[in-house]
Amino acid sequence: MSSRGFHRGMRAFWYVMLFFLYAPLAVVALYSFNSINSSAVFAGVSLRWYAQLFSDETILNAFYNSLTLAITSSIIATVIGTLLGYGMYTYRNRRLGWLIWLVYLPIVMPDIVYGISQMSFFTSISNATGLFQLGLGTMVIAHVSFQVPFVALLIYSRLVGLDAMLFEACHDLYAKGWQRAWYFILPTLRPAIVSSFFLAFTLSIDDFVISFFTSGPESVTLPIFIWSAIKKGVTPEVNAIATLMIGAVFAAAVIALAFQYVRAARPRAAD
Amino acid sequence: MPRTQDARTQGAFATRASESPKRREPSHFGHLMAVISPGVIWIVVFLVLPSAYLMTIAFMTNGTYGLPRMPLTLEAFKELAGFGFLGWSPGNLYTLIRSIWQTVLSTSLVIVMAYPIAYYITRAPARMRPLMLLAVVVPSWTNQVIRAIGWMNILSPGSPVSDLAASMGLIPAQMGLFPSKFAVVVGLVYNFMPFMVLPLYAVFEKLDYAQIDAARDLRAGPIRTFIHAVLPQTLPGLLAGTVLVSIPAFGMYVIPELLGGGKSMMLGNLVARQFAAASNWPLGAAGALIMIIATLLGLLVLRRMGKKLGGDSQVVL
Amino acid sequence: MTGQSTATASAVAAEPTTQHQDQASGRSGSSIELHGVTKQFAADSIALRGINLKISGGEFFTLLGPSGCGKTTLLRIIAGLENASDGEVEIGGASVTDVPAHKRNVNTVFQSYALFNHLDVRENIGFGLKMRGMDKAEISKRVTETAEFIKIGNLLGRRVDQLSGGQRQRVALARALVNEPDVLLLDEPLSALDAGLRSELQLELSRIQRRLGMTFIFVTHDQQEAMVMSDRVAVLNDGRIQQVGPPQQLYEHPENLFVARFMGHQNLYEVRQQDESGLDTCFGRLVGEFERGTHVLIRPETMTVVREDDVNAGPNVFAAVVRERVYRGHVAEYTLDLGNDTEIVATCNNVGEPMFDVGTRVAVKVQTSGVVTFHA
Repeated sequence: MSSRGFHRGMRAFWYVMLFFLYAPLAVVALYSFNSINSSAVFAGVSLRWYAQLFSDETILNAFYNSLTLAITSSIIATVIGTLLGYGMYTYRNRRLGWLIWLVYLPIVMPDIVYGISQMSFFTSISNATGLFQLGLGTMVIAHVSFQVPFVALLIYSRLVGLDAMLFEACHDLYAKGWQRAWYFILPTLRPAIVSSFFLAFTLSIDDFVISFFTSGPESVTLPIFIWSAIKKGVTPEVNAIATLMIGAVFAAAVIALAFQYVRAARPRAAD
Repeated sequence: MPRTQDARTQGAFATRASESPKRREPSHFGHLMAVISPGVIWIVVFLVLPSAYLMTIAFMTNGTYGLPRMPLTLEAFKELAGFGFLGWSPGNLYTLIRSIWQTVLSTSLVIVMAYPIAYYITRAPARMRPLMLLAVVVPSWTNQVIRAIGWMNILSPGSPVSDLAASMGLIPAQMGLFPSKFAVVVGLVYNFMPFMVLPLYAVFEKLDYAQIDAARDLRAGPIRTFIHAVLPQTLPGLLAGTVLVSIPAFGMYVIPELLGGGKSMMLGNLVARQFAAASNWPLGAAGALIMIIATLLGLLVLRRMGKKLGGDSQVVL
Repeated sequence: MTGQSTATASAVAAEPTTQHQDQASGRSGSSIELHGVTKQFAADSIALRGINLKISGGEFFTLLGPSGCGKTTLLRIIAGLENASDGEVEIGGASVTDVPAHKRNVNTVFQSYALFNHLDVRENIGFGLKMRGMDKAEISKRVTETAEFIKIGNLLGRRVDQLSGGQRQRVALARALVNEPDVLLLDEPLSALDAGLRSELQLELSRIQRRLGMTFIFVTHDQQEAMVMSDRVAVLNDGRIQQVGPPQQLYEHPENLFVARFMGHQNLYEVRQQDESGLDTCFGRLVGEFERGTHVLIRPETMTVVREDDVNAGPNVFAAVVRERVYRGHVAEYTLDLGNDTEIVATCNNVGEPMFDVGTRVAVKVQTSGVVTFHA
């Protein structure tokens, strides 16, 4: 095959892949504007399902729960994960193999195992002591535990990308430990911290299985609401909720990206 | 230089803390613990401990309402292998085998699709690459359930895609492409593509093109060039991606539940059922134990590959 | 030669040049003494093996050596960024062996400059003063003064990523100097710059050092750079000091084969036999009174190359054939074949006489003043 033909083939494949990746999401958005109650046939444009959605108390409550869960867990995870990532970086030459295991465990473990182990754990504790009853609290705990590794790895990779001499320059320029943290590490990490918050946020919004198993009757979030709704079949109303959630994730992605590339996008002077 | 005199004038500097023959780096253990302990404790208490508890449940007896109790037995594992009140039945084993088969199939498809994509991104202009990677990753940031709904819309009876398949005689008229095993595999591939593209991109980015030129120079054809010069270099990324795709796919719950029917059930569904309707925690825990073992094996591979990739971060992020 | 060799035999005994101290503006830099400084990273990796060194206040001192010789490690130990496994470090006569970097009145110009990207030039230069708790007005005044002195007063408002390599270098220098350290350490600060900028900054660094009278310790692997700038140079190899002395002494009287090679000498030969009237080498006998040694070096610029017929055979004249000629403008550099697979390099000043072509039979006259013997 000629190299040009090869390149054209690759480019065509890339566009097919983009279509494959975005078609399902586009279809969800499309049917959410359907004027008839169908997710197979598109009859015309209408906003009636959105209107219906915003007057539904259950959905608004679920939306509120989702947001509370995502924001609370992301704040906790960003703080804890940033510290962990910083520790992993500072002591990367020590024998901390076990730490890497611990960080990768939540990333690799199937979420069903995650969900049921936490569910059985919390249930047994609450049966015995009354603490940790399934609800928003246990959901926040569960979400933080899978967000922390992602935040830690993002912070770690940002730190690894820095010139190690910068840390020594601080030391050389009379900075004590806290001064180094306050005047150098935190300002330098700020874009990474912000983008890791948004990453944690999207991870939380993205999750269904773990939320499902650690939730209680009072803590229905949007994905859980959708789950029970589509057991009877996909409705345009469900598509409308889904479209709003897709929009939220895209917005978060753009913000996360903007923060991460803010430095790279700055104009550079020619040498 | 009068040393003694200067030593007096600069007394503040003249603190000789230790006179030990071999000086040691000062201990930072306290600091280390201060920064990593919140994260470590959180993960240990709220993930490792519950997993250990779950593994214990697998060896306990099924009580009323599905809650586990003593004594410790191997009943759950026998049940998982199909031995129940009514003698042996193959249902659970079929589920296990189906899980493995669907995992292998979808992982292979993901590799075939992700490999050229990762390569294509590395060959794109440097400014475009982050955007292209993001384009691949963003769909996976939306909720799993929503992504499944997308495919339910596309493959449902009466949809253009289903009609097309029916007109080609692939499925009976008026039927949809979902629920089916086909829909489950499509869903799995869709779900896990980015997890393969990212580690592959990491290895392609560091690809030593001199090796490829050398192979070409030695008159190797495209296939032999690929096998001898490209594949070995990308193997770490390929293995890392395989772990990141196959382990979660093996334990997948949402996609078989929504896109597959009862005949497409995977291990994750079997496990989940024991904690919900069927109420047999030990049986569910025994199924989960298999997944935990698979997870740990996967981590082992990932650790090795992480070292070969030269860093731990690029593999996942 | 006896007198010189005692002066350079031991690093500690070497008499440092202190000629610049009297020009110092109000104060003079601190002296540094290293006693048996050893650094061992792992059981099998020893970076420094018992370094003894005395650097006097106000001196421009250079640590010269190939990569991996331990020069940067030594600099880091002086800065306090690394702990010595054994030995003592004294600055201004007081031991600082156990004093951490942020409490040492020593500043470093890093190889990569290590400027803070999140701060502008003014904030970068003022960082050290801010960490010491100086008030803002005083910081601003000192930063402006130092920037003017380093000629970057117009860059103070810039972001770091808007600077060129040379500008970064100056900011890094200003950031260190503004703290008025006892000693300034420079870790190959010019290695990332192109040749022209490099020689400009070499001269400027010497000028700054002389005006401030501050002790500078400069690390480099470039012997030209070391010779241009330094009062004294220590040549390091394999964690040991090979020789310490002023550049001229290192070049004209290297004490061993390593120093000779590292200073750029190519005409190095083994001494086969030596007596009062001269010594024998593989290409013939050199007549003259030389120090005893196992090796001999002949400086290329002290030789004369003439046409074969234009000289009478005599002591220290050797027949040769031109193998290679490199024209450098002010000099022509000849590689001459002396027979027996032996070559010698000679440089001739370009004073307008015709040059010899490759293949020409010539005679090369060696002057005894250009002949140095030493022990391997």
